Amino acid sequence: MAFIKKKANKNESYYMASQWTLMGRKLKKHKLAKLSLLILGILYLGVIFSGFIAPYGLEDYDKLYQNTAPTKIRFYHEGEFIGPFVYSLEKYNNPETFRVEITEDTSEYYKLKFFTKGVKYKILGLFESDIHLFGTDVGSNGSTSGKVMLFGSDQLGRDIFSRILYGSQISLTIPFASAAISFVLGITIGSISGYFGGVIDNIIQRIIEVLGSIPSIPLWMAMSAAIPAGLSTVKMYLLITIILSLINWCGIARVVRGKFMSLKNEDYVMAARIAGVNDAVIILRHLVPGFLSYLIVSITLSIPSSIIGETSMSFLGLGIRSPATSWGVLLDETKNIANFSQYPWKMIPLFFVILAVLAFNFLGDGLRDAADPYK
Amino acid sequence: MESVTAINKKEHILEVKDFKVNIRTDEGIITAVRGIDFNIKKGETLGLVGESGCGKSLTSKAILGINEKICESLGNIFFDSNDYGLIDLVSLNPKGKDIRNIRGKEISMIFQEPMVSFSPMYTIGNQINECTRLHITKDKAKSKEISLEMMRKVGIANVEKRYNQYPHEFSGGMLQRALIAMALVCRPKLLLADEPTTALDVTIQAQILELMKELQRELGMSILFITHDLGTVAGMCDRVAVMYLGKIVEIAPVEEIYQNPKHPYTKGLIGSVHKIGNKKEERLFSIEGTVPLAMNLPPGCGFYERCEDRIEGLCNRAEVDLVSIGNEHEVSCFACDHEACKAFRAKVEAELDGNIGGN
Amino acid sequence: MAKYILKRISLFIPTLILISLIIFFVIQLPPGDYVDSLISARSAEGEIFTPEEIAHWREYYGLDDSWYIQYGKWMKGIITKGDFGYSFIYGKPVWSVISRTVGMTVILTLIITVFQYAVSIPIAIYSSTHQYSVGDYFFSFIGFFGQAVPNFLIAILLMYWSFKATGSANLGLYSTEMLQNGIHLYNLGEFLKRLIIPIIVIGTASTCGIIRTVRAQMLDEQSKQYILAARSKGVSENVIIYKYCLRAALNPVVSGIGGMLSHLFSGSTVTAMVLNLQILGPELLKALKAQDMYLAGTIVMVQAFLVVVGTLLSDIALAWLDPRIRYTKGRD
Repeated sequence: MAFIKKKANKNESYYMASQWTLMGRKLKKHKLAKLSLLILGILYLGVIFSGFIAPYGLEDYDKLYQNTAPTKIRFYHEGEFIGPFVYSLEKYNNPETFRVEITEDTSEYYKLKFFTKGVKYKILGLFESDIHLFGTDVGSNGSTSGKVMLFGSDQLGRDIFSRILYGSQISLTIPFASAAISFVLGITIGSISGYFGGVIDNIIQRIIEVLGSIPSIPLWMAMSAAIPAGLSTVKMYLLITIILSLINWCGIARVVRGKFMSLKNEDYVMAARIAGVNDAVIILRHLVPGFLSYLIVSITLSIPSSIIGETSMSFLGLGIRSPATSWGVLLDETKNIANFSQYPWKMIPLFFVILAVLAFNFLGDGLRDAADPYK
Repeated sequence: MESVTAINKKEHILEVKDFKVNIRTDEGIITAVRGIDFNIKKGETLGLVGESGCGKSLTSKAILGINEKICESLGNIFFDSNDYGLIDLVSLNPKGKDIRNIRGKEISMIFQEPMVSFSPMYTIGNQINECTRLHITKDKAKSKEISLEMMRKVGIANVEKRYNQYPHEFSGGMLQRALIAMALVCRPKLLLADEPTTALDVTIQAQILELMKELQRELGMSILFITHDLGTVAGMCDRVAVMYLGKIVEIAPVEEIYQNPKHPYTKGLIGSVHKIGNKKEERLFSIEGTVPLAMNLPPGCGFYERCEDRIEGLCNRAEVDLVSIGNEHEVSCFACDHEACKAFRAKVEAELDGNIGGN
Repeated sequence: MAKYILKRISLFIPTLILISLIIFFVIQLPPGDYVDSLISARSAEGEIFTPEEIAHWREYYGLDDSWYIQYGKWMKGIITKGDFGYSFIYGKPVWSVISRTVGMTVILTLIITVFQYAVSIPIAIYSSTHQYSVGDYFFSFIGFFGQAVPNFLIAILLMYWSFKATGSANLGLYSTEMLQNGIHLYNLGEFLKRLIIPIIVIGTASTCGIIRTVRAQMLDEQSKQYILAARSKGVSENVIIYKYCLRAALNPVVSGIGGMLSHLFSGSTVTAMVLNLQILGPELLKALKAQDMYLAGTIVMVQAFLVVVGTLLSDIALAWLDPRIRYTKGRD
């Protein structure tokens, strides 16, 4: 009998569990969504601790290291195992071709070590430090020309790995900021439209329809062309965020309106209204919680388009511009096919964009399945 | 055990023998129908009564082979077909030509919710006529005439206009009439009616039931009438089979079941459903009938947990079978006071004791 | 139904006017105008201009009015004379600058649209009738990937591989020879070959989207009771799939044509720059960077116009396809 009781209790908890518990439980079963969550977690840790993880600063460059392939990490120096280390580069006059070439200088080695000192940075703009997760040690002769560039370097000799981390600070936060703005705009406008209906609804629907008819990237391009050059990074960031959210709210507003339309005639809303509850409270306390999960899903699914939007605009030179760096800016060098087919590591930022976009999509998909807890 | 050819061709149109349905789910296999036997005589109406999830709909759909892919039918369903003679419907390929020839033509079905039983994309006429053209004639004018005739017969007024209308232009009751027309347009020998009136309001329910009886007399067909509502059974059926958790617990002619119900579940249904147990148990019970528990059923009678007459140590240990107690009445309950049941109980108890002794 | 279509058509013009207003407003947002960028360019070369000269130019280019008056004039020109304004960087009327590009954009868009439906619907039917098969998983994965990854990134990858494999990236829609002689029957093959990569790259996102929608919709339909009712009539599986499921699943596809076109223009804008295609996108970037407002405005306007036309056509097609819309929306 204990068996049946136990089953019954299990069922009891199934029926009594809150919507969020159920969503969490279903999400746990969704393997791809779980993996995506893990990947996004790592990426966002990178955003927070980029200064610490990146061995070099955003603008640190070294003429010697222009367009170098990812640094080879070695273990044996002159046949002797000495742990992970790198060689530095040196200029070398080739007597046959009579040209200056750049080759590895194997006479001196630079050990890799954790917690090296480097450029100063701030974590979250609060904690200042100059300790970096890893870096190269000073050589035995005291020289510091050994560099570790995991993903190679760009035309100016800047470390792509470090720049991807700094770029993520913009590329991975703009979508969130713009999602937050779209969220507020979408809920406000959508609920007004759905709750009051009539003429207001008609006007709002027309506006959404009109905005939807204009292809988003051309419109984004036109708007970001209005950003004057030479703005501070913060202002540029804010403007791009606003531009992205100016179109994204439409989708959320449409979802909210649809839900309002179907929920506002429910008896419990009528009951609240008869009891004299005012409109704002009815909307926030009784209606919004009823479809919050759907909203979170649609926001998650709107983030990839923001990432793509920001990347595209920056890629075209209309969004974030140097010296500020986003993933789109990093892709700039891939515009020239001869350039990046010679130095294919310059495509690495591209894989981060794809990874982030895919992860958000899978997470959104998992959330969508989970949002229907009883299915 | 009776042999496979036991179907009495003169009397029975359908014989279901040791029939089971297994459902494959992520969590394992659920046996939703756990071995049932019954038959339907020519021209009679058999009521199949039980609550949701007891397997009655699965049984009716299995007759036509239209259960979902995850459902597997086991056992035999013999049907006395005009075209194929005596045929086991379970053995037919559910996508094959043979079963499709029987569907709609010799056996057809009407469903619980008429509003969703028609595709919203095509006219009612198109969908009724589809059946006529498949089974009766390819001739456009003739088949349309036959379809219109059946629409008139089920009481749809102004059929010429209605023929070209879409489902959303029909009321619920009218749609159920159209659905009946679609099911009967080929004058089938057997009609499966799966809760045909549940979704309709009461006055229309009565009309539809009356219509079904009329058409049954006219066409001389048999009906398997599935419902959870014992009220409609009294007026419609000749015999009643009561199903509980995938098994038939009692089967008897309709007067017999109302006057002399033997199984505690049947008694409960006929009395008042609310009488059974207190509120808490009722909640627990409705959970029990749902899918997660049907998978790990403990041995013994499925009704044991809710039963007022249960016998500890017997009902929860031994499987119980249908026992004939005369007058076409069969019941499967150890607690039944009839001589035949007592004999059966004694036999099972002896076996149980023997097993314990043996161990 | 006639009423419904009339209603949609009557909304068509106001929508376009509203769109043009928004576009013009956005386009003139950048501080400064063409004359400013012209002067700064020429000043850099050492020329000096008097305020009178600058004012004269402003007047000449019609840039001395406030933006709504400029908008009014622009609209008047479009409506009365079909004149879309003057392109500053090309020094000729906008329409003569982009007419050829518009033609190419429309042709490419049409080809891509046909390609999308021709590829995606059969795959969706296969996937939905073979749910959870290896093929279904394969297409689902490809579909997800294609929909999630921005197509200009796919373009970069394809270009890289094509460059590595053949030594040329096969860029542009026309070869130098075609630019000189135009497209004729003898070089049509070469032209079509150059279309392959753009079609695949630009078309992927929507193709994958359609596969996912149609597959999900068909599976959804299959679980509906009317399918069961049809099956109980003795209807064959093919009729069930094509007559019932597919018909119902096409509705969201048809109603999504407007959105699909909008996506197509969005995606193709950046992709075209990567692949160096002579369509509207790259022209737009050029115009925006030089503050050539009428050219930029007209390009966005043309794209939006095509989307609105697509939406209108899809609304009409939907009314024709779905009897419920024909019936209910015709009345209100």
